[in-house]
Amino acid sequence: MLPSYEELSAWLPDLLSGLSISLQVTVLSLLIGIPFGLLLALGVLAKSRLTKILALFLVEVGRGAPALVLLQFIYFGLPTSGLTLGSFTAAVIALAWNTGAYTSEIIRASLQSIPHGQREAAVAIGLNRLDALRYVLLPQGLRVALPALLAFSILIFQGTSLCFTIALPELVSRAYEIGSNTFRYFPALLAAGVLYASISIPAALLVSHVEKRAGSYAQR
Amino acid sequence: MDGAVLHLGSGKPTMTEDDALAAKRMPSAKGRARKPLIKLDKLSKHYGNHTVLDGIDLEVMPGEVLAIIGPSGSGKSTLLRCINYLEPPDGGHVTIGDISLNAAAPAGRSELSTLRRSVGMVFQSFNLFPHMTVLRNVSLAQERVLGRSRRNADDRSMQLLKRVGLADKAQQYPGRCSGGQQQRIAIARALALDPEVMLFDEPTSALDPELGLEVLAVMRELAETGMTMIVVTHEMSFAENVSDTVMIMADGKIIEKGPSADVMRNPQQERTKRFLRAVHDR
Amino acid sequence: MSTADVFAILRGLPWTVALTLGAFLAGAVLGMPLVAARQSRILPLRIVAMVLIQIVRGIPPILWLFIIFFGLGMSVFPISPFNAALAGLGLIAAANMAEIYRGALASIHFGQWEASSALNLGRWSTLTDVVAPQAFRVALPSAASYLIGLMKETAVASTIGVSELAFQGNQLSQLTFRGLEVFALVGMFYILLSLPVAWLSRVADSYLQAKVAR
Repeated sequence: MLPSYEELSAWLPDLLSGLSISLQVTVLSLLIGIPFGLLLALGVLAKSRLTKILALFLVEVGRGAPALVLLQFIYFGLPTSGLTLGSFTAAVIALAWNTGAYTSEIIRASLQSIPHGQREAAVAIGLNRLDALRYVLLPQGLRVALPALLAFSILIFQGTSLCFTIALPELVSRAYEIGSNTFRYFPALLAAGVLYASISIPAALLVSHVEKRAGSYAQR
Repeated sequence: MDGAVLHLGSGKPTMTEDDALAAKRMPSAKGRARKPLIKLDKLSKHYGNHTVLDGIDLEVMPGEVLAIIGPSGSGKSTLLRCINYLEPPDGGHVTIGDISLNAAAPAGRSELSTLRRSVGMVFQSFNLFPHMTVLRNVSLAQERVLGRSRRNADDRSMQLLKRVGLADKAQQYPGRCSGGQQQRIAIARALALDPEVMLFDEPTSALDPELGLEVLAVMRELAETGMTMIVVTHEMSFAENVSDTVMIMADGKIIEKGPSADVMRNPQQERTKRFLRAVHDR
Repeated sequence: MSTADVFAILRGLPWTVALTLGAFLAGAVLGMPLVAARQSRILPLRIVAMVLIQIVRGIPPILWLFIIFFGLGMSVFPISPFNAALAGLGLIAAANMAEIYRGALASIHFGQWEASSALNLGRWSTLTDVVAPQAFRVALPSAASYLIGLMKETAVASTIGVSELAFQGNQLSQLTFRGLEVFALVGMFYILLSLPVAWLSRVADSYLQAKVAR
């Protein structure tokens, strides 16, 4: 049931290489997705009807469709209309879209949770809408949003496992490959599970720590 | 009280913005000016079926200190917030100096901006920006709205913080200051734009009586330098001793208005008498 | 896209619904003893529950499904794709529901416990008669939101051969080479499916809000 020492040392290079790809996709998706989420949040709150509808559409689809379907849509679907993308690129695009959609809601909720008086004070001292956002609302909103954004990042990391279905050589696909070669499915998949947990669990603990500290900040 | 304010003027050798403004205000001292600085014409506001402001007419002279008192729900705060268009009125005119806004014609962004530059507002819950230092709180609007350089803005901010007795708190964050200190900083922040009139929305209601005294002392000094002030308050001694005029509001209307000593000691209206009696009995 | 195609995809709908409801039910029920263990005064029990929850949530759903279907299914005992998916998703749901319950219980004002204690209600009675009903109301929005999330998670079952919506979509796309429309349609079905749940949740929430005296 458990991998032997020899098996583990044989498998580890492959598994770690897969983990590295998972992490790369995670980081890129977040780096692109979170700013995208900010744009979408502002887009949803915009005055222009066109902007609002476009932003809402991207958010509702990015959030409402399963990540798996988004991945398949971008990797398998787009080629039928001429645009072919490699699995890594497709993975990043799909997950960045997913990230953007969720984080736009997180950011929007955080902005709304800022005490109303802050907005009033910004207005009263004459700051225009953009300055009020930039200097008063966003700095506070992002602090509030941080725990949720971190928690979501962990989910995206786990979400890279879905990229198995679009032929990305990430961690799960490596473990599966080892399993299908050696018929030692359980140990190989277990090893992959341990690798995932070794990152997810400390990250989750970090998130609860940040949550507690953010809570004390919000007290003021 | 930690060094809360007790001097008039800035005592600087050269003529600065500060001096020039003080000079502008001093001569048109309390109540002796020709044209009203603030004029409200038939100002009204509704929330659904509920009338919060019922056609208010009001004139405030430059240098005048007006205290507005009255029971909760009388529309006092709403009136104040309509003056700087924090809440747009549903009917009537708001005139401050040369700017006049008509509720019927929605105000443009630049008009609102000009209006708000001449009005400073102090809130009951201070509303300081918790994520920046005290100094930055006071400097931010100067840089972004008035276009001052960071250096000039910070210098002016330090002047103002000195004036309210909190220069030593400049590098601290608001969260580390007491309520009274935060409110004094809020006053400095509002003064930073060199407004023509200062609005105070129950500035001491969220403070312990002791801390409230610090703030009232600053407000008193401000009044003595000739600033036009409209103060919604429950502090009867401020209304009686510091303000020039007192106005009683109830149910969205002005019940009584006149020189503070007269209204507070010798009220004419029954409603006023009732209110003052209730306050006194506490 | 012909109607035949649409119906081909919709063949997967009953499976999606069955998986979603089955896993959610399993999670809602199993989450209760799990959170009880998590909050228990017996330290070893608390630790075991905490570790279990962290591990279950720390491993991606697709991997859990693989471990159960390929890992256990190949070596220990044969298991159908549907049952493997149900077991895996149910396990994950239990861990997540336990956390939702924990959050809801924690949000109940401490005064409720104190008052019950003063009235000499035992710990069990306090839980079932006083705290749990209130916690239920608090948990409802999070649980509804999780239900919608779970429904989207069921798409991973397609990877181990459960013929639900995503699986049907994949098949159709390979058959017709019209991936763009097919996957767009599949995505749309999932979005439409979430609407009644979101609506029901809002209705239930406002109904329950009305009953609470404030």
